[in-house]
Amino acid sequence: MKIIGEKINGTRKRVQQAIMEREAKFIQDLARSQAEAGADWLDANAGTAPQREADDLIWLVENIQAVTDKPICLDSANPAALEIAIKAVKHTPMINSISAEPHRLTGVLPLVAQYKTPAIALAMDEKGIPKTKDDRINVIRRLLGETRKLGIADNQLYFDPLAMTIATGQDNGLTFFDTIRAIRKEFPEVHITCGLSNISFGMPARAYINRVFLTMSMEAGLDSAICDPNDHEIRTTMLATELLLNQDKHCLKYTKAFRAGVFNRPQPAGAKA
Amino acid sequence: MSKELVDAVVDMREEDAVKIAENLLSSGADPFSLLDDCREALGIIGTRFAAGECFVPELILAGEMLRAVGALVKPRIEGKSGGAAQKKLGKVVFGTVEGDIHDIAKDIVEFMLEVNGFEVIDLGVDVPVAKFVEAVKAHKPQVVGLSGFLTLAYDPMKNTVQALKDAGLRDSVKIMIGGGQMDDQVAAYAKADAYGKDAMAAVTLSKGWVGAK
Repeated sequence: MKIIGEKINGTRKRVQQAIMEREAKFIQDLARSQAEAGADWLDANAGTAPQREADDLIWLVENIQAVTDKPICLDSANPAALEIAIKAVKHTPMINSISAEPHRLTGVLPLVAQYKTPAIALAMDEKGIPKTKDDRINVIRRLLGETRKLGIADNQLYFDPLAMTIATGQDNGLTFFDTIRAIRKEFPEVHITCGLSNISFGMPARAYINRVFLTMSMEAGLDSAICDPNDHEIRTTMLATELLLNQDKHCLKYTKAFRAGVFNRPQPAGAKA
Repeated sequence: MSKELVDAVVDMREEDAVKIAENLLSSGADPFSLLDDCREALGIIGTRFAAGECFVPELILAGEMLRAVGALVKPRIEGKSGGAAQKKLGKVVFGTVEGDIHDIAKDIVEFMLEVNGFEVIDLGVDVPVAKFVEAVKAHKPQVVGLSGFLTLAYDPMKNTVQALKDAGLRDSVKIMIGGGQMDDQVAAYAKADAYGKDAMAAVTLSKGWVGAK
């Protein structure tokens, strides 16, 4: 299971403030704590207006790289900002994200091909997020047609089947799991990722939903997640699920995590709403 | 006024609510009073939602119950008028701006506006600027609501306000914006009249603009 640490995201108010006021320490602390908790990439999303986004993204990249060697997941829909940031990173970054929307196909996809980066690929097009599994698979087929044409290897891509909240459609969980299984079957080389909290938007006691969703998604074939690696519920659930799915040889990750105190309950205990 | 119907809707007993409504109608109750009951129930649910005691799936179910009762009532009131349910405070044209497809928050705000007596014209998501202009021309609302979750929505909001101005419609409406990344600064940037931080704020703003309490 690969983890993309989600915390450095300017669409969160506190991070936006840190970006605006150039609070380097705040960003560095977020980078360090996520790296130490086992993130494989650190997402960097400036979330600022297009005319300043490139500068802000570079500033984030510099501060992340000041404290960790973990590769960065550059999170933007703005091709100009992405290209400037790609040139500023020390290690090959991940691009977040491409999709079958025309502006991403023409703007972002060529960067993924040119710089040979891994990329998150959203199962959506200009008409939005398809309702059914079959329609999402059709979008993914179309997108893979484009990426293969440009010589991008299937295993460079992290497909996000896009979880919709269970609050507005009680079959959204099933659609998601079915889509993962269908991707696994038809395109065994690609990776599958997703954010873990959308599924519970609008619901109370979200942590319980999120962690069972993680387990069920991993069983269906999810092999990466965009999440907070310091989230106790997520981290322990991920370790236990990997163990049960035979993804943890000799149970070493699990036992090592135990010795490192990962299973000790943080204070305050209990599920957050 | 049927406390039984109000309670059934508030307690999320869908089948009971429909059955009670049918019984009320067949025993000669004023069809408009059923709509008033639903309004009252939805008001209670809305308050609970704002207080974090009731959740999105329950709002959706409440909306379905309202539609079910409305369908029973409709054939009996066509051509008639009366009842508080008939009097609308005003019209709101509402939609998620171009380039943004988020709908949950939009639907919640629309629900709260309807519950509080507004007629809402829902334009959906990813709404082109021209569609807002057409809708304002056609429906002559007092209020336009622009929803957007992403920073990418800033410019489409600004463009929508500008297009209403270019069409000579800007002075006929008040424009409010809301959604994930919005705040007062974005409202100023887009030249909207106000930012609303949640569904109740949208109701308060709209009521203020139409001169309701």
